[in-house]
Amino acid sequence: MITISSVTLAVVLAVFMRSFQEGTYGKMIENAIGDFTGYVQVHQKDYWDDKTIDNSIEVNSTLINNILEVENVESVNQRLESFSLASNENRTKGTLIMGIDPEKEEQILSLKKKMIKGESLKADDKSIILGSKLAEYLKIDVGDTLVLLGQGHWGNSAIGAFHVKGILKMPAPDIDRQIVFMPLKLAQEYFSFENGITSLVVKFEDSDLTQEITDAINAKIDTTKYLAMTWQDMSPEMLQQIEGDRVGGLIMIAILYMIIAFGVFGTVLMMAEERKKEYAVMIAIGMQKTKIMAISFYEAILMNSVGIIIGIILAVPLVFYFNIYPIEMTGEAVESIEKLGVDPVLPTTLSLSIFVNNIIVILLITFLAAIYPLLSILRLKVIESMRR
Amino acid sequence: MKVIETKELFKTYTETEVEVKAVNGISLSFTEGEFAAIVGPSGCGKTTLLNLLGGLDKPTSGSIIIDGKDISSLSSRQMIDFRMNNIGFVFQAYNLIPVLTAKENAEFIMNLQKKPKAEREARISELFKAIGIEGKENIRPSRLSGGQQQRVAVARALASKPKFILADEPTANLDSKATTELLDIMRKLNEEENITFIFATHDQRVIDRAKRIINLDDGIVVKDETEVV
Repeated sequence: MITISSVTLAVVLAVFMRSFQEGTYGKMIENAIGDFTGYVQVHQKDYWDDKTIDNSIEVNSTLINNILEVENVESVNQRLESFSLASNENRTKGTLIMGIDPEKEEQILSLKKKMIKGESLKADDKSIILGSKLAEYLKIDVGDTLVLLGQGHWGNSAIGAFHVKGILKMPAPDIDRQIVFMPLKLAQEYFSFENGITSLVVKFEDSDLTQEITDAINAKIDTTKYLAMTWQDMSPEMLQQIEGDRVGGLIMIAILYMIIAFGVFGTVLMMAEERKKEYAVMIAIGMQKTKIMAISFYEAILMNSVGIIIGIILAVPLVFYFNIYPIEMTGEAVESIEKLGVDPVLPTTLSLSIFVNNIIVILLITFLAAIYPLLSILRLKVIESMRR
Repeated sequence: MKVIETKELFKTYTETEVEVKAVNGISLSFTEGEFAAIVGPSGCGKTTLLNLLGGLDKPTSGSIIIDGKDISSLSSRQMIDFRMNNIGFVFQAYNLIPVLTAKENAEFIMNLQKKPKAEREARISELFKAIGIEGKENIRPSRLSGGQQQRVAVARALASKPKFILADEPTANLDSKATTELLDIMRKLNEEENITFIFATHDQRVIDRAKRIINLDDGIVVKDETEVV
């Protein structure tokens, strides 16, 4: 009972902790990457190092078709991005202007879902929508006019006053503080860059294929002019943050596994100690030590399996619950989480691999923990143990 | 016919600073059908001798010959198999396996010997009847009295039809009535089925029923008397 309980607790704790960790990373990537930049983008080859509108691409159907021919690529979205100053009354702020195809971008940016006020964009609109934190800073609302001032293509001035059609809440607070979306055509007019784009966002389903698809695109396009980049190349700081945090998380989980190992080892050892007399009697009346070891091993497998099954039964609803209703951070924690560019909510992930990996690790721990008590059967002194 | 024979048997313990000669050159033999008691004061070497006869301990020197075979030369694995097939044990504290029922305890060795179910069933039924615990087959040891538990232990020792039974203080934890009943059963099995019993005891009730009394002191045999019928 004690062994089963300790294994059950181990499974629940390990699965819960890992799914929280991975859920948070997933959220971070989804917020800043999957829902914004996309996992792969194609740019003019110098654009990423020098993000000016002059390092851009003229819309080119051959380039787009080449990308679409790559296996698993579902669509390619055109974007025109640059920076401008946004002003309302006496407030001004640097903003990221993103010209998009609102219909096609719905698959990546999901703007309609993020709208909190007003309406989303249409392709032929002459209006803009902007992030809620930016709107709050500029004290601007739906129906007002936002003045933008920036630099257009080849040194042209970009100046415009745009009707605010809606306000949306981007999950990554950093983005929410600076984003202005407008239809691609309007952006091309604003930046005096007909047919110009800065990025082609490549849409595909399985994010695990990011590197594979990037390599395949680079093999198909003229890399003297263009370059396909993964989100890891585009956001090395986020990758570093996740990797750094993951190492911290792994240390935490390693400590948890050690506690689990000692707990399981303690219970197995205690069980073996308690049964020494029983084992000694069995050996005295003719049972081979190896047979007792085999029975004890099967018994350990059975108990561990029961513990693991109960652990999964308890962990699954818990993980599901916190996936649907993530923990919402409060107080100072909100600020520190927002600094990471992530919504201050902690969801769990429903990844099957977390269950499988933790089950394998805990099974290994329990088997390793059982070795010493099993070996103690070999060293058991019959007469001494029977006197206990 | 000789069942066991010891020649110049020594067992010396050297774990402590003082060397203890628990068995100090004992040469004995037991024949089939004996009902013998090894007696003597505490620390005289009774239990050590019984452990050596049962192959639970190895002698420092000397030999123990059972059925013409010197068991002191057997490996640990061989010794365990030898015990399973040739020796029955009855312990002072019964030593039944708590998670098994009375019947499962009694047929434990037969299971190890891979005896067919029908043979096991028949033997256990016969033994439970002979030792007067019929109807207790499916009860766990914790729900049996001390006397009943020791009877199950006797049934376990006899189940595999060993060459002899070694009983170390089998009555020490029993009341008078249970002791008498147990001794009656053992004596009856000895007389009717010619089963050899060797006891290590200082219980006078056992000594009174023994056909042969071997007195030990300081690890040597000081007296060896056989009942004259």
